[in-house]
Amino acid sequence: MTHEQLNPTIGRILENIEKVMIGKRNVAELSLVALLSGGHVLLEDVPGVGKTMMVRALAKSVNAKFRRIQFTPDLLPSDVTGVSIYNPKELEFQFRPGPIMGNIILADEINRTSPKTQSALLEGMEESSVTVDGITHRLEKPFFVMATQNPIEYEGTYPLPEAQLDRFLLKMKMGYPDVNEEMEVLSRAQRTMPIEELESVIDLNDLRELQENIKLVTVDDTIKRYIVDIVNGTRRNSSVYLGASPRGSIALMKAAQAYAYMYKRDYVLPDDVQFLASYVLAHRIILKSEAKFEGISAEDVLERVLARVPIPVQRLVK
Amino acid sequence: MNGGKLQSNILNMWLYICGFLLLWEWLRPLKQLTDTANLTVFIIFLVISLVLAYFKVNIFVRNGIKLLYVLYTINLLYFEDSFFKLKWFFYVTDSVIENMRAVFQGSWVSLTDDFRSILFFILLGLMAYLLRYWLISRRQIFVFFFMTLLYITVLDTFTPYEAEFAIVRTIVIGFALMGILTFYRILDRENLQMPAAFARKWLIPLVGMVCVSIIIGYAAPKASPIWPDPVPYIKSYSQDNREDGNGSGGIRKVGYGMDDSTLGGPFMPDDTVVYETEADHRQYWKVETKDVYTGKGWVIAEENGEKIAFAQGEEFPISNYTDEEMTVDERTATIRPFLQYPHIIYPLGLKVVENDIGHSYEVDLSLEKISGADLGNLPGIGQYTVEYESPRFSIRGMMSTVDQNHPLLTEDFLARYTQLPDELPERVRDLALELTQDKENWYEKAKAIEDYFGRVDFQYDQKDVAVPGRNEDYVDQFLFETQKGYCDNFSTSMVVMLRSIGIPARWVKGYTEGDFRGMTDSGKRLYVITNNNAHSWVEVFFPEVGWVPFEPTKGFSNNAQFTFDLDSEQPGQQDDVLEAPEAPEVDKPEETDAPEQSAQTSFSWKDTFDKTTQFLRTNWLWFAAAIAVLTLTTYILYKTRLKWLPYFLIFRYRRRKNDEDFPEAYIALLTQLNRYGLKRNQEQTLREYARYVDHYFSSGEMSALTSTYEQYLYKGKLQEGSWENTKELWENLIKKTIA
Repeated sequence: MTHEQLNPTIGRILENIEKVMIGKRNVAELSLVALLSGGHVLLEDVPGVGKTMMVRALAKSVNAKFRRIQFTPDLLPSDVTGVSIYNPKELEFQFRPGPIMGNIILADEINRTSPKTQSALLEGMEESSVTVDGITHRLEKPFFVMATQNPIEYEGTYPLPEAQLDRFLLKMKMGYPDVNEEMEVLSRAQRTMPIEELESVIDLNDLRELQENIKLVTVDDTIKRYIVDIVNGTRRNSSVYLGASPRGSIALMKAAQAYAYMYKRDYVLPDDVQFLASYVLAHRIILKSEAKFEGISAEDVLERVLARVPIPVQRLVK
Repeated sequence: MNGGKLQSNILNMWLYICGFLLLWEWLRPLKQLTDTANLTVFIIFLVISLVLAYFKVNIFVRNGIKLLYVLYTINLLYFEDSFFKLKWFFYVTDSVIENMRAVFQGSWVSLTDDFRSILFFILLGLMAYLLRYWLISRRQIFVFFFMTLLYITVLDTFTPYEAEFAIVRTIVIGFALMGILTFYRILDRENLQMPAAFARKWLIPLVGMVCVSIIIGYAAPKASPIWPDPVPYIKSYSQDNREDGNGSGGIRKVGYGMDDSTLGGPFMPDDTVVYETEADHRQYWKVETKDVYTGKGWVIAEENGEKIAFAQGEEFPISNYTDEEMTVDERTATIRPFLQYPHIIYPLGLKVVENDIGHSYEVDLSLEKISGADLGNLPGIGQYTVEYESPRFSIRGMMSTVDQNHPLLTEDFLARYTQLPDELPERVRDLALELTQDKENWYEKAKAIEDYFGRVDFQYDQKDVAVPGRNEDYVDQFLFETQKGYCDNFSTSMVVMLRSIGIPARWVKGYTEGDFRGMTDSGKRLYVITNNNAHSWVEVFFPEVGWVPFEPTKGFSNNAQFTFDLDSEQPGQQDDVLEAPEAPEVDKPEETDAPEQSAQTSFSWKDTFDKTTQFLRTNWLWFAAAIAVLTLTTYILYKTRLKWLPYFLIFRYRRRKNDEDFPEAYIALLTQLNRYGLKRNQEQTLREYARYVDHYFSSGEMSALTSTYEQYLYKGKLQEGSWENTKELWENLIKKTIA
């Protein structure tokens, strides 16, 4: 799809990000898809591959308030949401907003903290609000969380429960840069910390407008049917213990809308759906243990499902 | 939701009703075929069982009610005691125990009626349960429906039970049931709720389909089986004790024979041409009449009876008419014999026979048979012409005769023409009397008997015709046992029945008009008479009119003309009697050979089959060649489709102008590309496929075309001019697939 023309605004944002990120165009695009469709991203990778850089570049490009929460085993929910502190001068409690009160949040190593703290973040992601001492604080929009987690196999982690994984629109891996890219990384690092030089491309109002526009992208019934068929396919697959939920269908549709918009289209193609299906659905299905032992991954299952669902080439007969 | 539930309940009720009707069909024949009396109580039991099942009454209550009913009925039928006295109840228990013993001993005959009734109730209860299971749980009824049909048709075939309407009923009910059940199955499979409108939409076509199939089934011709009917064979197998009558040895050929003393037995068709006639009218040709019925056939009263000679061109010495003022049509006809018979054939109302050679004729007065005389060394009778007066019989004249009180009806005459053998079974006369009891005059009586043979019970058949046994009467056997036969059976039976009620009648032999072959130059109608046209019919004597022909044989129509010169007292009869003389014949010459074929489908089926095989046998090479050519052409067209199909597609779509044609054209292109070998996997998106195609053809046409199609398909919008703008791309792509 790379040869398709990009929406100019989005093209500029991507260019901006590429100034500091070498390679990883795919990750940048998908992150933008999530940002534009109001979802959140779960990045699963080892430390040091540029996750932070990626998010910071994104935040900078849209001129958003960037916050970072480093999740550690001893982090408390109030460390995320903020805390009310007694002010002796004013004789009352004052709310000190936590790091969640930003536009773009990097939740680093989310699976290293306790479920209690995890859920504080996840409540914010789902409800766009946090409750501290009985007072609900609305979060400013846009609100975008990019959570990173160490691969599950590493020790000392609290894996996210399925219900909470479902709240992430996309899950992706960053991966190591290839040789040339890594050499380029080194060259740039010699000069300055490149992120400091980055300028913003749009502001938050522009971003909100983009988000509104995306809702207008047409999803034809043929496409809806295709999405439903795919999601149904995950439910029927023999390796799957629990398939994707209707929330997964909605997520796939929204992501596809954003992706179509990104490529200057006002309608969704099956290609969009196909491309995104694995990122949107893979973390929403639970494999049977037999399948896991056989080394089948959720991505493999999706690949099989996609190969079995025919592309709609004619209009639905009503 | 409530509406849906109600709807579903009503549908369920219909299911139960239909199921009940279907089960009822099993019970209906019992009354006639077995000694089951009081069928009603069983039917009521069935109704109760089904109603209880429908309302899903608690199983104990349900069975309690049924048990009470059964006991009450048993009490009512077999015991005089009051139901509440309970003494009878111990009798029942005793009887059941006694009967159970009999069952285990296998002595079936000693089972008593009450026990058999109880068993039957149990069976019905089980059937009701099964019905519920099939209709409500399984939603499948076909097997039961099929079994019902089988049961009814078998009964219809092998027993006296008349199942004509039962079959229609069963079909209607069965179709309706299967339709509703299919609806249910679809609902279940698709996990649909049932909105009322949905059910209605289903029911309307269902009713339509059932009606249409019934109408078609009712209107369609009912062909007799092409294969021989196995029933008589099976029946005869079981009653082999019947003695063979004389003369039943071989199969005879249709044709004109002199000896009619033993009638019956099958006939082989024989289309040897006997005569060719030129006439302006369709009529029967007479050869002779016979008047002595022996119980097995017809014989001549006196051998070598009195003969009168008459020269050619001279007036025929005898007349069959007594009515001086009868209206007649003067006609002539020419007859060319093909076989050398000593006798000639002649029409009703013969006046003069002429021939070119000049020989004369003689007529046997008792037989009214005309033979050639002083033929000299001629090989036989050659071509001859007859002049005759085709009569129009007065119905008034015929109706004026009510009894034998007439000077013309002398004792001798009556003795001769009402002669019957003494052994004639009484039931023949009884039947004749019964048929004519409310008829006043001879004409109506004769008509009533003639009409009797038109009933469905009688069947025209040339193959499966019985020969009377030694102690059987030919007519009696036909009327009461076989009811199957050809002209001899019908005509002899009518004569005998008429005679049995004192109306003088005689048996006439001859030919029907034959097969119409076209018009001659002189404007006459040319007929060919073959042995198949040999025929026999009836003449009845009315003193005021004379000898009047009647036609009882099924499938044949009386060619004699009648004038209804009565005041319109019985207008209803007019249609039966009056024949429209000329009009239909000129218009429909093909009708002339119809009578023998139209009504006897079995015969005509066979005939058609024979003709077809004959035709196939002579022309099989042509057929084979045609099929071979057709196959080869198809094969070549299929094999070369890559070469010509693109041109066809271009031709087809080039003329199209509308944007709406674009999607169709695009799909056609996809199919054509697929045919060409550029296969698209089902999970391949159009865009990927277009790239693949473009890569293959090193162009960008498919991608351009596809993006327009994508807009139509995934955006639901067809841009104006889509087809005009992309037509060229489309054509280019199609052209590229030309191999």
